[in-house]
Amino acid sequence: MSNSALPATLVGSKRRVRARHWRHSNLAGYLFISPWLIGYLLFALMPILASLMLSFTNYDVLGHNILRGDWDFVGLDNFEKMFYHDYRYWKSVKATLNYVVFAVPLRLMFALAVAMLLNTKRHGVYFYRAAYYTPSVVGGSVAVALMWREIFQRDGLVNNILGTEIYWFGNPDYAMWVLVTLAVWQFGSPMLVFLAGLRQIPQDMYEAASIDGANFFQRFWRITIPLLTPIIFFNLVMQTINGFQQFTQAFIVTGGRPLDRTLLYPLYVYNRGFVSFQMGYASAMAWVLLVTIAFFTLILFASSRLWVYYQGDEGKS
Amino acid sequence: MKSAKGLILTLILMVALVAPAASAISAQENIELHITWWGSQNRHDRTIAVIDMFHEQNPNIEVVYEFSSWGDYWTLLTTKASGENLPDIMQQDYAFLKEWQSRDLLAPLDPFIADGTLDVSGVSDVVLGTGKIGDELYGLPLGTNSQAILIDVQAFEKAGIELPAPDWTWADFEEISLALHEKLGIWGFGGPLSDEALWKSLYMGYGTWAFNPEGTAIGYEDDQPLVDYFDMILRLIDAEAIPSAEQWAEYADLGPEGNPLVTGQSVMGYWWSNQIVAITKAAGEGREFKLWHLPRPEGGQPQNYIKPSQFFSVTTQAKHPKEAAMFINFFVNNMEASDALGTERGVPVVAAVREHLAPALSPIDIETFDFLARVEADGSPVPPPDPAGWAEIRDNIYAPQFVDPVLYGEISPAEGAAMLREEANLILARNK
Repeated sequence: MSNSALPATLVGSKRRVRARHWRHSNLAGYLFISPWLIGYLLFALMPILASLMLSFTNYDVLGHNILRGDWDFVGLDNFEKMFYHDYRYWKSVKATLNYVVFAVPLRLMFALAVAMLLNTKRHGVYFYRAAYYTPSVVGGSVAVALMWREIFQRDGLVNNILGTEIYWFGNPDYAMWVLVTLAVWQFGSPMLVFLAGLRQIPQDMYEAASIDGANFFQRFWRITIPLLTPIIFFNLVMQTINGFQQFTQAFIVTGGRPLDRTLLYPLYVYNRGFVSFQMGYASAMAWVLLVTIAFFTLILFASSRLWVYYQGDEGKS
Repeated sequence: MKSAKGLILTLILMVALVAPAASAISAQENIELHITWWGSQNRHDRTIAVIDMFHEQNPNIEVVYEFSSWGDYWTLLTTKASGENLPDIMQQDYAFLKEWQSRDLLAPLDPFIADGTLDVSGVSDVVLGTGKIGDELYGLPLGTNSQAILIDVQAFEKAGIELPAPDWTWADFEEISLALHEKLGIWGFGGPLSDEALWKSLYMGYGTWAFNPEGTAIGYEDDQPLVDYFDMILRLIDAEAIPSAEQWAEYADLGPEGNPLVTGQSVMGYWWSNQIVAITKAAGEGREFKLWHLPRPEGGQPQNYIKPSQFFSVTTQAKHPKEAAMFINFFVNNMEASDALGTERGVPVVAAVREHLAPALSPIDIETFDFLARVEADGSPVPPPDPAGWAEIRDNIYAPQFVDPVLYGEISPAEGAAMLREEANLILARNK
């Protein structure tokens, strides 16, 4: 900058300087978050909005350029077809509800049981905490799903242990249990949250109860569970959302068979979108799923008033 | 500030100036030819060997290839199509040729035949016709195969049952399957009799096809043959002469190695003829398999036809269509290339290539060649390519709404067949 410009700057009001300073610091802030921001706008928000638009079209990928617009708006046709003319749609809804109703509570119970086991002061407990968390780290992966296929095969581990000859993948009544047990086995992340919650419960409560003669079950039902309800609530919401979105396991382990009994909703969305290439229809299905998940989450939140107990909340209500 | 802006501007200008110049230079000297195919590792190795040979003879053409399994292939290529970056050459399948052509994604090969780039004089009219839509050639067949019943010859001997007649009927099939099961205690037939390709060729036995020639509706009037066929399947399941749907689920996704025919749990199986190579290899030394015609209806036509196993097509998004045609020509006509390819893509379509390969053929190759010769002598005419919407009928209707509910006993074959007709017609009506 030249010297002659200096006085002009000095003459300018303090306010302008401050405004410029504000703008500068904001700019720096935006620059710092720009990698995330660009990623979010480009790879999350834009596709989300695009899929909302696509759900009202008959866009089918093959030979149609989405930007050139050689597809038609079909109004609510996709939704009408879904609800009234798609036999498999309701089968997949049924399979998904079936899955969520069994997999989520079972996983939470199992996670809580393991968390209580690991919430003891024993030698090597840190090692076990890490070890028991591992299945969840690798749980969503293809390798584990393939392993699950192996152990549920006719001459696999499960039939050997049970001494049965069950066709787990072919029997319409049993196939879902293959997926549910896999979900239960991936208890790691709710387990960690439970563990953190358990460590928050003051030990003196248990001591007091013990002195009063409460046995293990009484302590569990009267102290642990009530004080843990906020954690249970958090886990229930997260796991329910997660349960509606399961894809990998169904895709690899059962492929939706037999009789579409394990055709989890996201798998059907994938089949419509990437096997039949009916992107418009698949987008419509995905948005219905979003609304459904929001609906169930709201119900859970509404119900929380009845059963979730926040410590130190008493004074408010 | 100013200098930074200037620098960026200069950079942009430089890139803008250099970029087209660079591509112009390379277009004169070197070009990149893109090609995609699906298949097994064996196919990848053989195809890449041919690509290397082609590059040696045409050093200015760099062939860039991409391959995948069958399942991923169509997702990959469909995505490429919508992004308008299809390769110059794509391997195509009879089931999708028409759909892709109808969306203007495939270029006719006739101009290249006319100007001598592509020589198809060694290919028979019947085989070449399978790549034609209307009068124009949209895909050059690379090999031929046919549906077959694979027979374990030694197991037949062990059971003391004579090998079936070449023109056996479905009644014979049922009887033989039951007899084999009774004698040996294993499945007489261990395969998917409900396969969609068998539904389509079932009606070939009655002189028609699953779809009408225009591809706008189901091609048969009478559901009864389909109902009878599934009644037979249910009878065989009841007699435990074939695996039930529940049992078959264990085998459906296993490769040849786990197939009941290979593991000795069944005497017969259903395969495409070129797959005898994989079956024999998986079964190991000392086993003997033979290819047999599909059974046919009593007094009906043969249910076999010569099917192109796959095609090479030039896409409309190709940047170098002429060179693409050159490569295809090399691929099917060059003898060295044929040596590398063998019969992996089915029996080669060019007569001279077949003669060239003849002396070095293995017994299995000879069985395959013989079988296709038998089908050519006793086969039905090649049906038209599958209509647009076929994939949807197969994935969303035939398997989940017809086959599974019937085999698991939720609906009767008659109910299923009526539903199949109605639902399939809804989809096919869009082609009108």
